[in-house]
Amino acid sequence: MKNNNSLLLLNEARKYAKQLKNVTTTSETKIAVLGTASIQHFVMVLRYLLHVEGIDADIYEGEYDGIAMEVLNSDSALYQFKPEYVIILPHYLEIRDFPQLMDSKEQIEEKKYNTVKFYEMVWSKLANANRSQIIQANIVIPPEHILGNLEGQYSFSKTQFLRKINETLVEKSPENVSIVDLDLISNYIGKYQWFDYSGYFLHKTGFNMTCIDAVVKPFVQQILAFKGKTRKCLVLDLDNTLWGGVVGDDGVEGIQLDPNNAIGEAYRYFQKYLLELKKRGVILAVCSKNDETTAKEPFEKNSNMILSFDDISCFIANWDDKATNLKRIAEQLNIGIDSLVFFDDNPAERDIIEKYLPEVFVINVPQDPALYVQQLDKESPFEWLQLTKEDTLRSVSYVQNRKRDELSKNFVDYDEYLKALQMKGNITLLTANKAERFTQLLNKSNQFNLRTQRYTIAEINNKMSDGNFRCLCIDLSDKYSSYGLISSVILEKKNKDCFIESWVMSCRVLKRNVEYLMFMKIIETAKEMGCTTVRGEYIPTKKNSMVSSLFESLGFAFVKEKDECKEYSFDVETNVEYSTFIEIEKGE
Amino acid sequence: MNVKEKLQNVFRDVFDDESIVISEGMTAADIEDWDSLMHMNLILNIEQEFGIEFTTNEIMKANNVGEFIEMIEGKIA
Repeated sequence: MKNNNSLLLLNEARKYAKQLKNVTTTSETKIAVLGTASIQHFVMVLRYLLHVEGIDADIYEGEYDGIAMEVLNSDSALYQFKPEYVIILPHYLEIRDFPQLMDSKEQIEEKKYNTVKFYEMVWSKLANANRSQIIQANIVIPPEHILGNLEGQYSFSKTQFLRKINETLVEKSPENVSIVDLDLISNYIGKYQWFDYSGYFLHKTGFNMTCIDAVVKPFVQQILAFKGKTRKCLVLDLDNTLWGGVVGDDGVEGIQLDPNNAIGEAYRYFQKYLLELKKRGVILAVCSKNDETTAKEPFEKNSNMILSFDDISCFIANWDDKATNLKRIAEQLNIGIDSLVFFDDNPAERDIIEKYLPEVFVINVPQDPALYVQQLDKESPFEWLQLTKEDTLRSVSYVQNRKRDELSKNFVDYDEYLKALQMKGNITLLTANKAERFTQLLNKSNQFNLRTQRYTIAEINNKMSDGNFRCLCIDLSDKYSSYGLISSVILEKKNKDCFIESWVMSCRVLKRNVEYLMFMKIIETAKEMGCTTVRGEYIPTKKNSMVSSLFESLGFAFVKEKDECKEYSFDVETNVEYSTFIEIEKGE
Repeated sequence: MNVKEKLQNVFRDVFDDESIVISEGMTAADIEDWDSLMHMNLILNIEQEFGIEFTTNEIMKANNVGEFIEMIEGKIA
């Protein structure tokens, strides 16, 4: 077997599985895996990789070729298992009705819909039974072109038909279904490598075991993303990473970025890729061992640079060790160390970070800069559940933060500074158009998060239409930019009590008094629901200590502590008035 | 190290059991954990260890450890 990585992974996964046989654990994450071909190895590796990420999952392994059987049978053990996530792995061989040669457009459409309708039914049955999040692979198209070069030209060909099915699966997938594009990944690896016909005939495996790491990884990333564990920031070295050579030695014009030179082109290509990452919401940071002035010079003076200084949200250049600097970057950007991805050409620097900051994702940078883009793209550390407008504006706002910091230096009195920001806020009940961002914020926030509850879009939709719940959101803007939705609150009416089921806020708007505004709205909403008391709970985690005394500071009475969780209450008749310097645009 | 010794190491590693001693007549019935999933793992590790590839037919035909050893010796000769 040529791919050592996959074999090592299988061996480790096998050893872990054996270890588990003697241990009974209760885990909070329940995952069901259903598939057409054999899924045993997939499940074994999934369990192991999730364990490595700190998630001990209870996994239900469906029967062979059991997607229909497991889902359509309401007595099936699948429903009794009540999975949080259902992974579905289809295979092209499950499709019985491929178009015939010369089939008409209508006949092809009908056959396409037969397959898609089957999955729509599967999704709907699973959604009705549990509130599971479904993660389904699309269909990997086999390397068979019976029409030869004409395969891509006729819609009745197997290849064209499968392409259309995959397109339609994405188009028709409802909120609670994520499609994993395994077909795309199989293209990168190579179809001839991906398919193992001998393995299929012997053991009914759907893909070559040498690809198992590539097959399981995207599912692990999806589950991590649903749990709020996504990577947000790429920290870059400068010398021999963004440009060829060392700016301290070669000078600002001596570094290699000449578009007429192969090496210069390679670095420029890499910078262009980084710029694209930034545009989709990945935060770029720099961590370089250099004098700050020297390090900044190429950004200011070298006309061959693609990245500008304003593309970098946090720029650190000094002679301190990089582990300390990465911690500084995380602190400055108000994100966790586990949100960072580290790209440095120097293997010694990478080793240090791997050793001292194991939560950082370290890219295995190749020696040849021509391969930088391919390697970073292959490792694909920034897997998110969706792209929202807020994502595309993220970097801009970090740069504006820097400008705000400069503004604040002019004010001695903090209240005067807040006033000068000219903040405007808009608090509303959640509507469908904001549900995606509302849910994303609940799932991504770790610091200003009182109970760290995670939700699927389906669950949020249910609460929006349930009269016992109120979902509140705040949009904020100031003189420099608009932040969009930055705080999510879920309130539940329990007789005369209004329980704060969830309260999160984006770290970008800390110390702006937004929480006071939200608190006043919570009281107002509680009264509107006919409640006399607001109840809050603080569930401590490693990351949310900043809100440990929030309720106390708002004047809540401490009720009791149970298993380290603290409960509080607040009488809605208490007079509450805060001056926040945030102008309310329209309340509801 | 001869083929049999090397193969025995693979068995010990795959089944995570240093006490395994293989013999020519040994079959899947002789090791408790040796099911179809393990069989696949075993084949993959053997192919990796010896730098060889088995055909579908060869995998189907090998009925016991002795036949495996013969096939491996034939391929590395």
